[in-house]
Parts: sequence; C-alpha cells; structure tokens
Amino acid sequence: MKMTRQDTAEYALESLLKAGADKAACRVACARTDEFNVEAGKFSLMRTLFNDELYLKAISGGRKGIMVSNKLDKDSIDRSVADCVALFSSASADDAEDIAEKSVNKSFDRSIGGPDMDGLFNRSKEYVELLGDEYPKIVLEALVSDFHSAQTTFLNSNGVEFNDNREFYRLSATFLAKDGATSSSFNGYDAILASLDVPFIDLDLHRSLIEESVASLNTRTVDGKFVGKVIVTPACSDMIWDTLLGNFLSDAPLVMETSRWKDSLGTQVSDPKLTMRAAPLHPCIVAGERFTSDGYESFDTDYIRDGVLKSFALSQYGSLKTGKPRALNTSTSIEVLPGNVPLSDMIKGIDRGILLNRFSGGSPGPGGDISGVAKNSFLIEKGAIVGALSETMVSFNIVDVLQNISAISAERCCNGINVLPWCCFDGITISGK
Amino acid sequence: MIIYMLVDLLSAHKAGFKDYTELRAQTNTSKRVSFLSGNMTVNAQTSEGGVSARVYRGGTYGFASGAEYTADSVTSVLAAATDNAAFMDRRVNKGQPPLPSVTERNVEWRSIPSEDVAQSLLIDFAKELDSIIAGKYKNLSSRAVMVNCLDIEKLLYVSDGADSHFYQPRSLVYVFLTADTSDGVPVELFKPLGGLGRFDALFSDPSLLMQDIDELYESLMDKREGVYSNAGLRKCVMHPDLAGILAHEAVGHTVEADIVLGGSVAAHNVGNQVASELVSMVDFAHTALGEPCPLPVYVDDEGVIAEDATLIDHGILKGFMHSRESARHFGVKPQGNARGFTFSDEPLIRMRNTAIIPGTSKLEDMIASIDDGYYLVKTGNGQADSTGEFMFAVELGYEIKNGKLGRAIRDTTISGVAFDMLKTVDMISDDMIWICTGFCGKKQPMTVGMGGPAIRCEVNIGGR
Repeated sequence: MKMTRQDTAEYALESLLKAGADKAACRVACARTDEFNVEAGKFSLMRTLFNDELYLKAISGGRKGIMVSNKLDKDSIDRSVADCVALFSSASADDAEDIAEKSVNKSFDRSIGGPDMDGLFNRSKEYVELLGDEYPKIVLEALVSDFHSAQTTFLNSNGVEFNDNREFYRLSATFLAKDGATSSSFNGYDAILASLDVPFIDLDLHRSLIEESVASLNTRTVDGKFVGKVIVTPACSDMIWDTLLGNFLSDAPLVMETSRWKDSLGTQVSDPKLTMRAAPLHPCIVAGERFTSDGYESFDTDYIRDGVLKSFALSQYGSLKTGKPRALNTSTSIEVLPGNVPLSDMIKGIDRGILLNRFSGGSPGPGGDISGVAKNSFLIEKGAIVGALSETMVSFNIVDVLQNISAISAERCCNGINVLPWCCFDGITISGK
Repeated sequence: MIIYMLVDLLSAHKAGFKDYTELRAQTNTSKRVSFLSGNMTVNAQTSEGGVSARVYRGGTYGFASGAEYTADSVTSVLAAATDNAAFMDRRVNKGQPPLPSVTERNVEWRSIPSEDVAQSLLIDFAKELDSIIAGKYKNLSSRAVMVNCLDIEKLLYVSDGADSHFYQPRSLVYVFLTADTSDGVPVELFKPLGGLGRFDALFSDPSLLMQDIDELYESLMDKREGVYSNAGLRKCVMHPDLAGILAHEAVGHTVEADIVLGGSVAAHNVGNQVASELVSMVDFAHTALGEPCPLPVYVDDEGVIAEDATLIDHGILKGFMHSRESARHFGVKPQGNARGFTFSDEPLIRMRNTAIIPGTSKLEDMIASIDDGYYLVKTGNGQADSTGEFMFAVELGYEIKNGKLGRAIRDTTISGVAFDMLKTVDMISDDMIWICTGFCGKKQPMTVGMGGPAIRCEVNIGGR
C-alpha cells in the first residue's frame, strides 16, 4: 500500500538520519496535469500526466548530497536514500551547507475546486474560433491549455514542516500573422489563471499582441544605426529582470564574485524611478511560492527600491557562503512598481526609438552586454508609432541603461506570473541593415 | 531500473492495442557536479522515469503517463490515453482515417553497461580539473567546472512499426573562465567538452583537457582586450562551430513540418533556390559522411525507422522533417524525426543531427579574402522564427582587417533572414566539426547534434 506524503517524508528523513546524515530535508509531491494541445489551429492532443517527486537533501560533516526521483514506493525510497548517502559521502565539505532553522509550521491551500475539463476545453475551443472569426490573418501555431494540481509536503530534521495544496490553469499561445507568402514573427502569450471566468483572448495584453502581429505583416527596417529610446513592453521585459537576477543577484555570480553589483548593496544601481521586487504573495500572482526550496516561508522582497539595491536573491547556501543576507523568497514572480506617465505620453515623448515587444537575443555574459533582434516591434518617430520593424537589432549594456530610465508607465499588466509596466530606456543602439 | 527488463510487462499489452498506439517506458538519469571558484555547489542526481501511452483516433491523440513500472500502472496509463483519445474524437470529430502503416521490424537491442558510473568519479575529476585551472592561469577573476551526465533509456512498443530499445549516454564537462577588463568589467568564455558516451569512457584524465582549456584561456585574454563590434550588415567568416547552429536555427526549425503548418515561410519554398548553390544541408539519422553521428537515432518514438532527411541540396529546398501525421498531410514518407524527451513527453518533430555539408575552400583563404569584416568563433544560444529570421549569440570573434585577424570583439549577436543570408554564402571550408553539447527547446528540451564547415557570408551583427 502506498504511504501518505507525510509518512513518506517522515520515513525518508528518518532513513537519511539513520544512515549517517547530520541534517536532512525531504520534499514529497504528488501532481497531476490535464492538458489540451492545438497545433496549426486544430486540436491535436489531450494529455494526462500523473507524476510524483521525492527530493532528498542530506548533509554530513558539511558534505551535501541531493537526490531527486519520481518514485514513492518503499523500495524506491530506500534506493534513493542509499543514493543520497553515497552522494554526500563522496562530496567536498563546505561549512556553508545547512538546512532551514525551525520556524512555525504552516499549511497552505490554494485549491480552486478541481479541474473543469469541459470548461477548459470550451474556453480553448472558443479561443480557436474567435481567432479565426475576428483575426483571419492570424495562424495559431500552438495552444497549450492545462489544469495542474500538486500537493506537497516539506520536512526537515530541524522540525520545519510545510504543506501546500495548489491548483491552477495555464495557458500558452503561440501565433503569427500570415498573408499569402508573407509571415510575421512568432508572437506569444502566457498566463496562469485561478479561474476560467475570462475568455482567453480577453486576458490583459493578449488581444493587443494579436493585433500587433497583424500589423507586423508589413515591416520596414531601420536605415543604418542610431542611439535612441526603447520602450520595453510587459511582454518583453522579463529579459531585463531575468538578466538582473541571473547575472548580478543570484548565488552563482556572488559566490564566483563575477557580479558587477557584489559590493553594491545599499547603493544606487538604477534610476530612482525603478522599484523591482519578487512578490509571490501579490494578489495578482496565481499560486505563487509559499515556502522556499531551502525550507523558509516566503515573503515579498524588494530587490531594488527607488533605484537602491536592497537585497540580493541569495539562497541559504549563497548567504552563508558570501556573508550577505538571504533573500526572503526564491520566487520569479516579479513586480515592478508603476510610474506616473501614461503609455501614450511615453510614446509622444520619443523623437526616435522603438516599442520592443519581443527580444530574441544572446544570453548576456557577466559584463551585462546584451544584443539581439527586435521582434514584433515598432518604430517610433516624432512621438508616434510609424510602422512595424524587421531585421532590426538593439544593443546595450544592462548596467548602463538602468541609469537611463526615462519613464515607467502608470499602466501595468498581470498575467498571473508577473506584474509589470512599460519601461522606457534611453541610450540604446538600434541598427538595421 | 533498467528499462529493458520491462520487455515482458510492456509486450504483454501489445496484442490489446486497438487504435494506433505507442507504449513507452523511459528513464532519464542525470548526474550533476559543479565547482564554482573551488566551491562544490552542486552534487546531485535525478532519476525520472515511467510509462506513457499515446493513442490515435479519428485525427487526434490521447496521451497519458504515470511514474510506476507496474502492470496496474501500464493498464491505467493505456486506459487514460484511450479515454483521452475518445474524448477528443467525440468533441473535435476530425474524421481522419488511421495513420498509414510504416515498415515493421523487431526490437533493436542496445547494450547497457551493468555497472553505474559512481558520482565520486565525477567529483574527483571536476575537483582535480578545477585545481589545475586555479594553479595554472593567473589572470582569472573566477572559474567554474561543471559535469553533467544524462543517460536516456527507453523501450517502445507500437501497434504498427518498429518496436525498439534505445540507450544513449551523454557526458559533458563545461569549463567557464572569467577575467576582468582593464576597467573592471568581467568577461567570460566557456567550453563544453565531451558528448556521446559514458563519463568513464570519455574522461580518464583531467590533464588531457588542458590543450582545449589553454586555448580557451588565450581566447579569454584576447576577449579581455576586446572592442564592440560595428553594428550592421557585415561580411563574416563563421568558424565551423557556428555552422551547426546556423543549420539548426536558420533552416532546421523553419522546415519542421509542424512549424511549416503553423505558418513558417518555408511552406512556399520547396523546390525554390533558398541558398547559394554551395549550400547542401541534411538532417542525418545516425551516420553522416561514413562516420557515426554525435547523437544517432535508429528508430523514433513513433516506431519509424530513421533515415536521413535532405533539407537543402545545392541551394534548393527539398523538403521538411516529419511525424507520421504530418508526413501523411504532405504525402511523403516519415523519416524518424518524432521524439519525446522524457517519459511524460509526447513525440514532437525534432531535428537529430543537422549539418551543412563541407565545401572545398580553406579557412585561412576565407579569412584572407575579407578586407573589412569579422571572424566569428564561438556561439552561445540561438533562436529561430517563422519568418526565417534567426539569431544566435557570438561569445568570441575577431575583426578581420585587410585579410588578417585583428582585435577580439565583446559579446554580440548576429541575425539574418535565413533564405536571404544563405544566398550570400560564397565560400565553404573543406573541414567539419560536430557538436552535441546543448539542448534544443520546443515545448520540451531535446538532445541534438549539429555540425558543419566554416562559411563566408553576410550577416547583421549587433554592437555599437
């Protein structure tokens, strides 16, 4: 007979300690996903995935091992425990390895009543039909819509215990416009939803992204190159925030000391208009993180407040290794606070620049140089959008342009994943053929 | 769990397949070790496996997967996939006939080593390599050594086609070196080493990697003094390392039949001149130019025996890559391109070993022929688009001035419209390099091989 999650976690934890671990943590999750797929505008697949997770972390004398498996029967747990012991037995010792201290045990329930697969199918079908009726030049390359549920138990040998039950719907649409032999670039919209109340096509930026794809059938390139302003839309600005997290704020660049902000805590790193935070508890974020993978309860945290670096995104290990404070979450639910300029006024204020809807570029190195192709983007001249762009590249250094934020919009968008405004950066090299 | 021990469990269900059905058991096992500036930050293993089934009825598929290797699990996964196919057929009602038959063949057995590679071997190797790097190179501000091994084993039974067993180990060592420019800005280069094979077969002695790492360090010292590239359309020579990603990103994705049906510009170009006559491109199944491919595929996850797919022949676009269903749509024979990454992933149309065929020029002559341009040496990630507009990162390159290599350039990106850019190719070198160190992303990740020679062409380059 299959053990409960609680029994499984307790058994695995006890086994690790008996096998020689000084400290141990265990996460047990049982998940189910029910998914519809549409390809080239036609339903193609219904998928049901049952999956489990057993995550084991054990430390002995500062030596760490992590074993992850998707088997929860007793024999498999015993094998995973033995594998985890073998891992830490051969590891190098590091005093910064630890587990979370005892805190208040909590349970979180974000269930939404279970799956409504008929409702999800009907919303997906409605979306396919509306696209065809209202936007005949749009080709729906792919739609993935699913209902996901996961029940998770986390325990560690310091007595930490969290339980979480979460459910949500997900939507990922990829589309383009096509007119004869002419195609626009791929465009897309992703969202996490707590209900099916709103038609997919009416979710925040979705309809405007579709309309911008149609407008991108007729494109122009920029003649030569110039340095101008770029409005990065909420659909695209992940690229900025993910780079800051990955290259300057997280464990690896700080442990390796390659982060250009390693000594910048408490100093001005951007224009004062910018406040950027991780906000898993924000009411617009669906099923946000409630406890970290280290075993700490998650809270919202400011990374940059009014342009000042307030926190790194360090794990417990990264914090102990560098001597810098641990982040209050490990979330990627990014919130950027709104500015006070309407988007329409931001556009009016630009003499020459672009509205950047999607960025296809190389992963930036530790120096922060970024270059790539402006996709689904529009040229702005003398305060007005004058046409869609193709074969246009943008190049900038992220550390430099953060000092050159000319405006942040009053409007924001939330897709259940992030809460983001439009941000206008100055000093970006824009080049065509 | 060794998957081929499940033969009896899975094969017992084959007689009960009614509609077109795939039944697959698969385990992906990964081992990861990382040393960041001497600190062991990762020491982990992941084992993810289970059973999945896909059933085709009336023009749509039902799919289901479960993590357990038991008779009950196989039965319930098959039942759930069948129920899902019935739900879709009832609600969508495409009315399509069954998929056409393909060649049948017995199970292909691949040998599985009985002894697992111990994690301590990976740790000791990485630690020693890190120690050598730390002691040898004086101008580094940081370094990282990462080991990443992925073993995939799968067993497939299909109602029609080739039942198969597949085992593929891939072992990689990544070395990252970082140095600071004179004004304190960090610059980085990395090199992946390894490929198809178990770790113990590929990596016996860290000192054997030092020639590659010496070259990486010298390149980093060049890049430390690097300048921004001059943005715009430029004449370039791409090192063979870049040709593979060019084949993959610029052409490969646009000729995957699902992308074609989704609106790719390639749809209208079969039979057309899309590249210089010098350019020929093939998605190889398992053997290329008389040698084994870096990641051979013999049978795909739809039970189709894999064959080479010619994409471009002397500049003419010849066809697309297919699943069984897309092949029927286009009236061609499937060639074994449908693959799923994990047990719970349905097969998608994926590239296998995509390459540009070598030409006759010499790399040094190609560089000498350019008055003002760039020699692009190392690449990072890349992306494709329905329009044929591609981009990929350039992490190391040099100016070419009057036929000679000049200063290194800082990180940049190149882009172009594939079927325009490929027409500018006017020299192709007579050598070839294969790489198989990354993952292709398309709903699911996938291991792929890519290769090619050096190429002279015109591309847009980012910069200042």
